[in-house]
Amino acid sequence: MRSDSPSPNRVLLVLMLAACAAWLGLASVSVAPNRIVPGTAYLAAEAVGWPLALAGCLPMLAVAGLAWRPDERSLRLSLAVVLGLMMWLPLWLAINAMLLIDPDMPQSRLGIGPAVWLLLFLLALALIELRTRLALSRLAGWGLVVPILVTWALCLAWWLAPLALVREYQARSAQFLAAIGHHLALVGAAVGASLVLGVALALAMRRHERLERLGFGVLNFLQTIPSLALFGLLLAPLAWLSANQPWLAALGVSGIGWAPALLALIAYSLLPMVRNTFVALEGVDPGVIEAARGMGMSRSQVFLQVRLPLALPVLLEGVRITTVQAIGLAAVAALIGAGGLGTFIFQGLGQAAMDMVLLGALPILAMALIADALLGALASRLRDGSLTSPGGAR
Amino acid sequence: MRGWKRGVMIAVMREWRAPLVWGGLLIAFCLAMGELEPFYRLIEPDSRRVIYDRADFLTLLWRHLTVVGIASFFAIMIGVTAAVLVTRPAGRDFLPLVAQLASMGQTFPPVAVLALAVPVLGFGGVPIVVALLLYGLLPIVRNTLAGLEGIDASVLESARGMGMGRMQILAQVELPLAFPVILAGIRTSVTVNIATAALGATVGASNLGDPIISGIVNANTAYVVQGALLIGLLALTVDSLFARLQP
Amino acid sequence: MIELFEVTKRFANETAVDGISLRVETGELCALVGTSGCGKSTTLRMINRLIEHTAGEIHLDGHPVRTFNEQELRRRIGYAIQSTGLFPHWSVARNIGLVPRLLKWPKARVAERVEELMDLLGLPMAQFADKYPHQLSGGQAQRVGVARALAADPDILLMDEPFGALDPITRETLQVELRALQARLHKTIVFVTHDMDEALLLADRLVVMRAGRIIQQGTPLELLRSPVDDFVASMLGGENRGLKEAALTPVSERMLPLSPRLISRSRVGRDATLHQALAVMFREHADRLTVVDDDEMPVGELSLRRLVGAGREE
Repeated sequence: MRSDSPSPNRVLLVLMLAACAAWLGLASVSVAPNRIVPGTAYLAAEAVGWPLALAGCLPMLAVAGLAWRPDERSLRLSLAVVLGLMMWLPLWLAINAMLLIDPDMPQSRLGIGPAVWLLLFLLALALIELRTRLALSRLAGWGLVVPILVTWALCLAWWLAPLALVREYQARSAQFLAAIGHHLALVGAAVGASLVLGVALALAMRRHERLERLGFGVLNFLQTIPSLALFGLLLAPLAWLSANQPWLAALGVSGIGWAPALLALIAYSLLPMVRNTFVALEGVDPGVIEAARGMGMSRSQVFLQVRLPLALPVLLEGVRITTVQAIGLAAVAALIGAGGLGTFIFQGLGQAAMDMVLLGALPILAMALIADALLGALASRLRDGSLTSPGGAR
Repeated sequence: MRGWKRGVMIAVMREWRAPLVWGGLLIAFCLAMGELEPFYRLIEPDSRRVIYDRADFLTLLWRHLTVVGIASFFAIMIGVTAAVLVTRPAGRDFLPLVAQLASMGQTFPPVAVLALAVPVLGFGGVPIVVALLLYGLLPIVRNTLAGLEGIDASVLESARGMGMGRMQILAQVELPLAFPVILAGIRTSVTVNIATAALGATVGASNLGDPIISGIVNANTAYVVQGALLIGLLALTVDSLFARLQP
Repeated sequence: MIELFEVTKRFANETAVDGISLRVETGELCALVGTSGCGKSTTLRMINRLIEHTAGEIHLDGHPVRTFNEQELRRRIGYAIQSTGLFPHWSVARNIGLVPRLLKWPKARVAERVEELMDLLGLPMAQFADKYPHQLSGGQAQRVGVARALAADPDILLMDEPFGALDPITRETLQVELRALQARLHKTIVFVTHDMDEALLLADRLVVMRAGRIIQQGTPLELLRSPVDDFVASMLGGENRGLKEAALTPVSERMLPLSPRLISRSRVGRDATLHQALAVMFREHADRLTVVDDDEMPVGELSLRRLVGAGREE
């Protein structure tokens, strides 16, 4: 930021003008009599009339105006307005629900229109931009999201029963929660197994150079094969195995289901895990190791007290990549009957029930973002050293 | 003279061996899948049909390539242009946002992106191309930014000091120096797109994902294996091509 | 000729260069010396407009630099920097030919010029033309950098600590070569360095800067003899200043005609410096030297008293 006369923040300007255009020009909600029939779209102006719709532009134009002279104060003000807008959107949906949904038709539902999605996206970008310009910490950045999530949660719980997504959820809430649990279990098992296997493999590869080349060759090869193909290719041998080995069948192993899914997930997870562990352990400054040796530390002391703690942030980075990747791949695994949130996506696609697709896709997106944020934060804490108090070193 | 020509041929063959082998296998399997019927009969002894026959494998391969090709072409054009624009003085304001968006966007699982594209864009080929394009942009933008930002400042300083113009610096210094990193981004983008396009079969696009999906739906493992084999070979062919191009 | 009139550069909240005036004559090597952050690099980069000055005027041969097209101006001015800034994806020959190609010289002429320059800087064409910068040693890369700066035969050369990153031996070799080169080419050179010995060795005019201002300028000898304050004195080496002065003063300046007295066996060349003469005296335990010309013919004599300038009337 320039100190004396800040030039206009064109990013916010562009975002807000685009938001206004989306608000006025795109359908903000749609109303459908049931879950399959495509709904009728309503512009904001069609729902509440032009004067009110135009008034809705005012806060965005205000932010655009503030962006003209983006000093600290006006940026903070903009932040408040943007937060307010994001908290207001669920209320807007609730208002629409009251105005447009006939309470006598229990099946009729309110769909979220492109204007609202786009507005959410643009406002989120504005939030990121403001966070960067105000140099807010990671924690403060996430703190901003909390009030937004709270308002959305409250609105969803009390006033947004006619929302299509809510209707869809209520129809299969037990199934939904089970799917989340299943999804998490699959991801957890895959990441856990690949962590153990990956670290072991990386350690072995550091010892044997030939194993190193072979290992990376095979893992790279596996990573290249698209997930759907790998799931498919595992299907045949596992089906054959379970048909011929009764004890495997008794364990629940079969061509479709959790067994090929887990195997494929582990196979995919191994490459990032091994690569990061290997790079992390190799990347430790040789001077530090030399010094540790010189002080008289034994091999195992050097490894446990010096090399491993120093390698931990990079290793954790591997866990982050693996987890985010596994959350997405586990969704594909639903195709071969592994369950999880992907089931909703593919069933929804099959029945052309878009709300069901959303019910599967949105939580997956959220899970990936949360896992990324949490593990990323942990890794950066580790890197700053605030958590690496050397246990037995003193 | 002929001997010399043959020497060149051999050298080319050796350099391009991996892509040639994988590509050759891909075409061979596409053409001769029917000859393998006895083998598939082993996997699927009870089914009436064991060779996927709703469409020719070559046609499926062609459709797969077209979808990925179009999406990747536009992703490269838009992605590199965008990254170049936000690293120019005029677009610099947008750099932090674009950089954050590109790295955050990559945490979105491709399946979720594909699934979200359908409610917005509808079923069929076009939504898939758009979804692949959008998702494929991210690694390209990110790598192009990394490549351009990673250039030694003194090189740019001396390029300016020698009196090179902005376009000259971009074309002769920045892009060539960033090229390996950009290419790595394109490689990631195309690899992911090949995999994601296969999922397009679930939203009504017809490509190499089709045999897999219909095999799963009809409980015909032979179909699944055929689709999986061809997609795997396609991915390996393309990846080895990139490995060859990478300096 | 380069002239700076009251030139000032202000960045957002600091003044990097504060109203400096300076005149570098054609064919002169002017060294800007100072501690890091004193504004010497900024001054240099304002001359070829890599940085635009905030106030004042900079003239090249009487024309304000602002009247030139930025890129044409830079193509007329050679530019060499510490980190060389060689393009890592171009061969040595291509790097050197950059500016001639920008100026659209015909191909054959570019090739000819590249060969000429590689020859001039002691880089055998056959060995180096097709090498890439990462294959060169630090000294070789810096030679290529200088060759590239000289490629379009500019009248003016700007050098920003060109030898700063080299090891002492290579640095000294290149300094000596630059001096020889300058004796042949007579470019107008502005040379930024924080190494005072380098500046004393190379400069015709020495400019000492601190906190964006010029504190003193003059020939090296002028500065050594009468530093304006303690800062300049300590930059010039404090107690060692005398020896440095001796290193810049030729024997011929202090020698006396041959006296009828006994001729000393210890000899020193007429073109040697007082520093070298002192070393001879020290080594040979002599307090009197015979000064000889290039043909070893005695042309004068130099006593220790005379060398240190203690007694003129002797």
